[in-house]
Amino acid sequence: MSEHKKTRGGSTARRMPGAFEDLFFLPSVMDTSAVEAALPGFSVVVEQDSEAKPFSLLDCHDQSLRAKGWMLIEIGDALQLLQKEQRPLFQNCSGKGRFIQDLPSGEVQAALRDFPKLRALMQIGAGKLEEKNFVVLDELQKTQVRGVIWSMTSTSGQATLVRLQRLRGYERTYQKVSTAFADLPDCAKDVEALYAGLFPGMETYRAKPDIQLGRAEPSIEVAADIIHTYLKVARQNESGMVADIDTEFLHDYRVSLRKIRSVISLFKGVFSEDQTVELKRVFSDIMAPTGRMRDLDVYLLEKDMYFNLIPEHLHSGLQAMFDRFQSERGQELSRLSRRLRSKAYATSMKHLIETFDGIGQLQPGPNADRGAYDYACALIWKRYRKVCKIARGITDDTPDETVHNLRIDCKKLRYLMEFFAPLFDAKGFKLILKPLKKLQDNLGLFNDYSVQQEALLAFVSQQSNTQGRVDAQVGLAVGGLIAVLDQRQKSERSRVIASFQHFDSPETRNLFRSLFHDKEE
Amino acid sequence: MKIIACYSNKGGVGKTATSVNLAHAYAQAGKQVLLCDLDPQGASGFYFRVKPSKKLTDARFFEDVERFTKAIRASDFEGLDVLPANLTFRDFDVFLSRMRNKRSRLKKALVSAGSDYDVVLLDCPPNFSTLSENIFKAADEIVVPVIPTTLSERTFDQLVRFFDEHKLRKKKLRAFFSMVQKRKVLHQETMASMRKLYPKRFLQTAVPFAADIEKMGQHRAPVSTYAGRSAACVAYRALFDELENGVVSTQ
Repeated sequence: MSEHKKTRGGSTARRMPGAFEDLFFLPSVMDTSAVEAALPGFSVVVEQDSEAKPFSLLDCHDQSLRAKGWMLIEIGDALQLLQKEQRPLFQNCSGKGRFIQDLPSGEVQAALRDFPKLRALMQIGAGKLEEKNFVVLDELQKTQVRGVIWSMTSTSGQATLVRLQRLRGYERTYQKVSTAFADLPDCAKDVEALYAGLFPGMETYRAKPDIQLGRAEPSIEVAADIIHTYLKVARQNESGMVADIDTEFLHDYRVSLRKIRSVISLFKGVFSEDQTVELKRVFSDIMAPTGRMRDLDVYLLEKDMYFNLIPEHLHSGLQAMFDRFQSERGQELSRLSRRLRSKAYATSMKHLIETFDGIGQLQPGPNADRGAYDYACALIWKRYRKVCKIARGITDDTPDETVHNLRIDCKKLRYLMEFFAPLFDAKGFKLILKPLKKLQDNLGLFNDYSVQQEALLAFVSQQSNTQGRVDAQVGLAVGGLIAVLDQRQKSERSRVIASFQHFDSPETRNLFRSLFHDKEE
Repeated sequence: MKIIACYSNKGGVGKTATSVNLAHAYAQAGKQVLLCDLDPQGASGFYFRVKPSKKLTDARFFEDVERFTKAIRASDFEGLDVLPANLTFRDFDVFLSRMRNKRSRLKKALVSAGSDYDVVLLDCPPNFSTLSENIFKAADEIVVPVIPTTLSERTFDQLVRFFDEHKLRKKKLRAFFSMVQKRKVLHQETMASMRKLYPKRFLQTAVPFAADIEKMGQHRAPVSTYAGRSAACVAYRALFDELENGVVSTQ
């Protein structure tokens, strides 16, 4: 290869003075001759001797990057981030299985700052990529425009990326070439074209899918719709849980199941009594084996927080505790994975999905045919009044138990509102949800601090010997933590009254009344 | 920024070939280079397949910085741009002083266009005039190709005398023997006597007379792109090394 050729390509793009790039994305194979035909007097010469390299398409499970219009690919040990109308970013490191905050600093890592902290990068697709440099030559064989073509293929499709590079003094030709590419059929400025070409029909994961509801739709159909949808959401998380990609898979799995369970328990009288009891048992059984794993995940995610809570000389005991948690998590994971991969589990999930596909296999209860809107209003109004009744009675002397109950009722209210949201005015909903979320955050922290104390005590008693003695280091660390957590729980509790008063404003009251109760007057 | 003038008060000594190959060598070494084709007979633009800019013959050219920067053309090589200009003497003067002056609009325009050149190489017209004096003042280094013949010896003497008379810094003069034919006794003898006469003026590197250099006209590209292992290519690389790093290669 001559030196003439060596100087072309990637590194040139970065160093050339005044270099600016245009990007074109095609969901198909590119036809260079079509470009050449649009450029009379010029020839397009594409480098021939290149080899296809395997690439991985990275994103997190919910495809945050794709939703943002970005594409992150890993080739060899380097990451490239593609964005609309931006120079592709490059960083020498691998990303698969890693969290953004754990990547070494670099331009890709910097651009991905806002990527969800709890989500790991995972391979959501793969294929082969052939990078070819090309030049647009005039009749003197002088280079007037340079570019790079990426021909990408996967087992399900192909796509092309074209990067154009301006050369000083050849602006007019550049414009012509740019137009020639832009005029190619299917040529797009959005990265989405690459996804569409390479992975047509790739399923996007959504933790909260939109569920279409009709105002007069029978409540049993609404319940079936919601349960069917969240069963599928839960199932989409199974492989990520087994592969242990990040903790959000298990979390989303549990949230989906909890939603299903709350439909079963909150939609009273929609299913027959027998079936309600049966379903409650079935879903409780599915969820139960995940509880300990989630607890451990939460402790481990909060590890730094725990270490910051107590002085450094107590850290060794804490470290011992976290080492135990880590190894226990390993055991839990293999137990859970075995379960998820078992034939029995697959059969029962398949059976459940069939059960809730339509209402043919469901036993209707007395409320089964009630119209969704009417039923929603009644449920939400009832739950709202219950929340208010508990909350208004809370004083500094109220037992913790009552505060816990308030938390649970707020959660039920929130779920009900979210399930039926499509039936109501979105603006009013937003106004109510904001102070409700704040109250829930408050109650959530109160609960976390209390659960954590219990868990720490349980841990210590489990670690103690027959005489009830524990390792001094562990005892000191746990004692210190409990003292701090108890303080926090108390101060969080004192905030509950204020948060509720904020939620209980005259505007919110009116909104609740007008949204869910007015028609009865 | 360093200004290197490629100059000869005698024609046909391989000045343009030197400009083109040196500019290419600097760019290959990772520098941002602007090669200014100032010689109306010269053809450094031709060697890079860059067509001369019609706009630049305009008298008002240097009053219009934007048009100047727009006339700059990227070559086919990374970091190497060409200014294909046939400038009038007056314009050339202004050009030199503005390239030198950091605060001039020309300099600022170049910087803002992302091209703060490390090296500006001037392929100069072969004249002896006030113009030349300005080149000698403005340039950091003046590379002078000298064919080892009696006639060239005389013109080089004139050049050195000119420097003396005008109290110019002779240190800037970096002469080298060009189009050397080793088999010619005359060449050998002239080289020996001139090195003796001007021990500090001559670089050690000598560029041979080579068909590969003449072929630049056919290839319209620097020698190293089509004859990377030729003696000519090696010589130009050595010339660059000696100029830039003071390294004398043993050929």
